[in-house]
Amino acid sequence: MAVDAEPRIVGFLCNWCSYAGADLAGTSRMAYPPNIRIIRVPCSGRVDPLFVAKCFEQGVDGVLVAGCHPGDCHYVQGNYFARRRFNLMGRFLDYLGIEKERLRLEWVSASEGKRFATAVSDFTQALKKLGPRTNPT
Amino acid sequence: MLNSDLTQQIRDKARELLESKAAECVIGYETGSDGAIARPAFIYSPDGVERLVFDDTCTHNLASYLVNRKGKATAVVLKACDARSLNVLLQEKQVARDKVYAIGVACDGIRQAVWGRPKGELQDRCKACQGHTPPIYDVLIGQPTSPDPPAPSDFSRVAEMEAKTPEERLAFWQRQFARCIRCYACRQICFGCYCQECFVERLDPEWTGIRVAPAQNQMYHIIRAFHLAGRCIACDECQRACPVDIPLSLLNRKLEEETLEMFGHRSGLSAEAQAPMATFRPEELE
Repeated sequence: MAVDAEPRIVGFLCNWCSYAGADLAGTSRMAYPPNIRIIRVPCSGRVDPLFVAKCFEQGVDGVLVAGCHPGDCHYVQGNYFARRRFNLMGRFLDYLGIEKERLRLEWVSASEGKRFATAVSDFTQALKKLGPRTNPT
Repeated sequence: MLNSDLTQQIRDKARELLESKAAECVIGYETGSDGAIARPAFIYSPDGVERLVFDDTCTHNLASYLVNRKGKATAVVLKACDARSLNVLLQEKQVARDKVYAIGVACDGIRQAVWGRPKGELQDRCKACQGHTPPIYDVLIGQPTSPDPPAPSDFSRVAEMEAKTPEERLAFWQRQFARCIRCYACRQICFGCYCQECFVERLDPEWTGIRVAPAQNQMYHIIRAFHLAGRCIACDECQRACPVDIPLSLLNRKLEEETLEMFGHRSGLSAEAQAPMATFRPEELE
């Protein structure tokens, strides 16, 4: 990991808001770090803690879960469930020694390309500061 | 030490239920083959009720056997802590209330056993136990000794763990998980782990490899504990079942503390409450 100082991020973006937000960031030519690999999911409520654990098992440095703002979910309530789940999971991972800063939950609407770009930049910066994960193999 | 009073009452109740055909099976405890500690017993006929006992080695959570009874009328002996797991199973619609006859026992605590031999000391969960009266029962055996509802678990060991740095915590858990042989005893013994197909055994998608290695073990333990978030009733049976003594209750206790703090939820106190991961409040959390 020492050679690869660039953090690797997996981003789970909801189809209706955050993915469109990321698309807007792209079409608007906003620069953001290329460290993120995006996976499109129907809803932030679709993101299973298994996905996040799997990412960490595979050695990624950070996981971003992004969805519609609370109250704006395309499926009405999916993001509320995601909010409970990942707030709890972040604290639990921290307890196991995977710093809670490595799991980030963001609300990005379809019109917030800027917000998405900023979120990825901030996250990348934060992960650089934390340093690479010592992933067990 | 056999509690002859409780034992007699359990036997009488079991005989009555089996004779009246109110229950097809009574799940209780009997003396193990070495005579030292109790083991689960399944009694199908009134002749067998003399096998039933209750003493301070009756550690098993018998609610674990209810899901596999598949709707057949069953009576089950439940200590106060075990009765909370019946509440969780009812909440999750895994058992039908009218098919379960709960013989609640107000117990005085269960002793630790090492290598199948009881030791003098009470189990940790019993030392912290504040509620000897089951929250759900059809008949209560023994005298309730303290007020309801039970106090939360003792989180002092969680606090000790949190006081360490992330590096120390990671090192600690890696050391623990490295010992795991992935026998899944912790999962098998748990009343809450009733999935027909567990994520660790799925091949498509293969959530985690069957390889017994630190990364895979860590994944297994993260998810095992997380699936019990807000459901675990702190019976500590997983830790007892662990052949390599991984402090699993430390994981469960952390999630118990967080669900209490974040959502004000305590599992198994009523059959109507909703699991914290299956509900939400729009105004909570920032």
